[in-house]
Amino acid sequence: MSEITQPAKSGPVAGRLANNSQIVLLALLVVLCIGISLSAAQFYSVENVIAILRQCSLVLIVGAGMTMLLIAGEVDLSVGASLAFSGCVAMDVTNKTGSVFLGALAGILFGGLVGLFNGLVVTRLKVNSLIATIATMMILQGGVFLYTREAVQNKHQQPAFTDISTGYLGPIPLPVIIAAAVFACAYVALRYTTLGRYIYAVGANAKAARLSGRRPEQLKLLVFVVTGLLAGLTGLILASLMNTGQPTAGRGFELTVIAAVILGGTSLLGGRGTLLGTLLGVLILKVIDNGIIILRWDQNLQMIVPGVVIVLATYLDLVRRRADAR
Amino acid sequence: MTKFLATLLATSAAVAVMSASAIAAEMPKKIGYVTNYATHEWYQNVIKGMQDRAQQLGIELEVRDANLDVNKQVSAAEDFMSRGVDVLIITPVNEEGVVPLVRRAKEEGLPLVLEGNPVKGMTTMVAICDYDTGYHAGVEAGKYAKGHLGGVAKVMNVGLPLLSATVLRSNGFMDGLKTEIPDATMVHDLDGGGNPDRALEISAAALAQNSDINIIYGINDSSSQGGLQAWKASGRSQDGLLVVGTGGEGLGFINMMNTEPSYQIEAAMFPEKVGFTAIDAAVKLFNDEEVPQHIVSPTTPMIGSDGWKQYYSVDGTTRTINWDAVNAVQPAEQCMKTAADL
Amino acid sequence: MPQSLSLSAAAGPKRPSEWLRALFRRNEIALLLSLVALIVFFSLASDSFLTTRNITNVLGQASLAMVAGIGVGVLVISGEIDVSIGSLAGAVGIPLVVIMNMTGSLELGIAGALLLALCVGVVNGFLAAYIGINSLIVTLGSMFVIRGAVYLYTGQKAIPDDLMLESFYQIGNGRLFGAISYPALVAIVLLSAFIYLMRHRPFGRKLYAVGGNPEVARLAGYDVKRVKFIAFVICSLLAGISGILLSSRLGSAVHVAGLGFEFQVVAAVVLGGVSLAGGIGSLFGVALGVLILSFLANGLGMLNIATEWQLVTTGLIIIAAVAFDELKRRAK
Repeated sequence: MSEITQPAKSGPVAGRLANNSQIVLLALLVVLCIGISLSAAQFYSVENVIAILRQCSLVLIVGAGMTMLLIAGEVDLSVGASLAFSGCVAMDVTNKTGSVFLGALAGILFGGLVGLFNGLVVTRLKVNSLIATIATMMILQGGVFLYTREAVQNKHQQPAFTDISTGYLGPIPLPVIIAAAVFACAYVALRYTTLGRYIYAVGANAKAARLSGRRPEQLKLLVFVVTGLLAGLTGLILASLMNTGQPTAGRGFELTVIAAVILGGTSLLGGRGTLLGTLLGVLILKVIDNGIIILRWDQNLQMIVPGVVIVLATYLDLVRRRADAR
Repeated sequence: MTKFLATLLATSAAVAVMSASAIAAEMPKKIGYVTNYATHEWYQNVIKGMQDRAQQLGIELEVRDANLDVNKQVSAAEDFMSRGVDVLIITPVNEEGVVPLVRRAKEEGLPLVLEGNPVKGMTTMVAICDYDTGYHAGVEAGKYAKGHLGGVAKVMNVGLPLLSATVLRSNGFMDGLKTEIPDATMVHDLDGGGNPDRALEISAAALAQNSDINIIYGINDSSSQGGLQAWKASGRSQDGLLVVGTGGEGLGFINMMNTEPSYQIEAAMFPEKVGFTAIDAAVKLFNDEEVPQHIVSPTTPMIGSDGWKQYYSVDGTTRTINWDAVNAVQPAEQCMKTAADL
Repeated sequence: MPQSLSLSAAAGPKRPSEWLRALFRRNEIALLLSLVALIVFFSLASDSFLTTRNITNVLGQASLAMVAGIGVGVLVISGEIDVSIGSLAGAVGIPLVVIMNMTGSLELGIAGALLLALCVGVVNGFLAAYIGINSLIVTLGSMFVIRGAVYLYTGQKAIPDDLMLESFYQIGNGRLFGAISYPALVAIVLLSAFIYLMRHRPFGRKLYAVGGNPEVARLAGYDVKRVKFIAFVICSLLAGISGILLSSRLGSAVHVAGLGFEFQVVAAVVLGGVSLAGGIGSLFGVALGVLILSFLANGLGMLNIATEWQLVTTGLIIIAAVAFDELKRRAK
């Protein structure tokens, strides 16, 4: 019986810890928004809010998977390359079949296959996920050019394809709805199901989880596949947004996602983290990115500021956790 | 017997003629080209033009890719030197970063042609005039704005400050535009990274910041595409908008000119022609012929949705250059402005 | 106690036969065989591969990653990681070239470059070792901050070497007796020195102990934080030296220099059998890892293999090599 209570305990504990840091993040976000809007009123224009949310949704969709992956103690650096490839596949299949549904399905499934490959390499071949997914990134960056020499153009001209990114449901852009749905599913799965508790348990202590009869390898494989599918979904939305399948898209996307997840308080060592934190992390990074343009600051700051913010946030988190421990 | 003699005579005469022309222009056996980013459509088409020309002249062409890595570029050039190519062509990832390479090639007596950007100590360079390219597109944009946009020109420049070439294009565009519309303004000067997803993200923020933009200028096709997609994603109509792209790198601009009503001007830079000219320059250097320091490869604005059809034909996913039309475009004698003027 | 836990590598075997046996037991022999196989294969496949000039070329090209790899190897063995080395290798070119242009002295320039590297190492090491922030996060942060600062300072333009100092040109491009390039010489000297340090000095043993099991190392009386801090400083200094050589090869301070360098180096280090978990691996293995990747890149180029295939092949080889290594380790 104790085997079950142990992982079950780590969920709420992690949740409580993270709740504290989320207040800090929320405060930071509020300060940022107020600060930016004081000097540039356009920040709160409907158009800008929608632009920010659309960018956030791309990062958040992959971020939901990445959060679970980091909590389980693994990482995936191939998501950027994977979403570029998935976007090309989605556009190409839509061109060839004339069916947006089949194209979208192919793109998402391709991402899932990449996730499956990553998962198998990590869980079966026992390759450290940081290295394995760097290697996958290289394979995908090379592979996409073997698949298509140039950007895959939109030849089908189906409005449904562009609607995936630019359409609206009521006043809300579709990508935001998709991201919200993904987020809600991931949130429920991580917070309220046994599966979620196992993910925390596996990341916190893989050996203990194995002793308790769970199979951490299978669970990790599943999370890799989910992250892959989400990268495929993001690739589809990005291809729709750009109206082409761009083999060079997504460079550095993985770092943005991981930065947001870490900023949200998820531990790189596994076992600790929340999706709410990731949501706040994504919002903060994208608001900073947007704010630098809106305020007409030097765009080189778009590289420096997030770097400082992440280290600072991690430090504050650390300080608070030490204080809690006392 | 006489027939045999006649044949012999004819053959030797033919050989004599051939060798005479061979003396006039000795052909290098092997040319090595270190490109900076082979997977980019622009460079794919530069390589295509090189291959076409090399094949015509019976030269073997080998290509190495630096993949945007300055250090890898030096290594690739070293590899070519140790293999013994007759002429080296380099597109510098960064023009300062290949200065030692130029010196080493000189020390080894290896002829070196630069493509794209000038380098200290070089013999010759094949390149378009970036400023002029932007300038002529700017003049056309001004005319279009007078006819269709009520003479107002508020520009969002989806630029790339990283490279002097792309800065020159943006400057040229604004200067050209101002010859037609003197009070044209650049509302936003953005760093779109030269890639479409970043350009899109930056443009979306900039459009929200200032909404009275009516011209989007992109320093390459990915940038203009990113800008245009951001415009569309914000729900704006394309009436009253003009998009100007630069490069004519691949199929992207052709597709946009065909389908997007606002995409009216493309500053075409004919990558195939750049490659073609670079091979010719390599042959000249190999023969110790006099060459100018800057061999200009021609550019011209393409206007309207059919503008490209004069120069290219498209079949499925391959485009073919119409050499007669492109070779007829006269390059400028000299660039109006170069990186030295920045 | 730490000796027994800190693996065979720390307890340096003395006699040649023992040394050989240790080599077989460990991973280096497999790497060495792969390297030989690679060289034989490319020699057969391309007639311009096995020439003195090409081999010395590749050694020179490998030396930049080798120098940085030694530092990353030391750091990873101590249980930490640094992904800011690419940004740093690019950044040190700026004080180097700017000071050189002002003073006309290569030595002062190098001093400035090393000072910058030292500062970065101290900051990274302080934040990671003493404050306790995860080193991947710290160095990911400094990777962005350093690169961004370089862009801000240079306005995204390269800084040329105005004086064209001969000594500056020579350190990256010159050859001793016309054969061995100076960067290769620097790499060989540093590699020997650090292999000696790791095998025969107490500090080497401490590194393995700290990386293998920090708790046990602490109980054994080692100052874990201090050891890790020094490892960070070593790593940054070596990345700085690598950056100085790079800057000479480029004849300037190029703002985009070293982009992606961290991935190449970390991949080579891991390929060389150093475990990212810490405590396991050797610098000889790191050197072999670097050489394998360098000869692979050169050979694939000689065979005229396009970039895309080079990327795919390199990725697959990394997975295969690391998987082989891990599975073998587990089988024991």
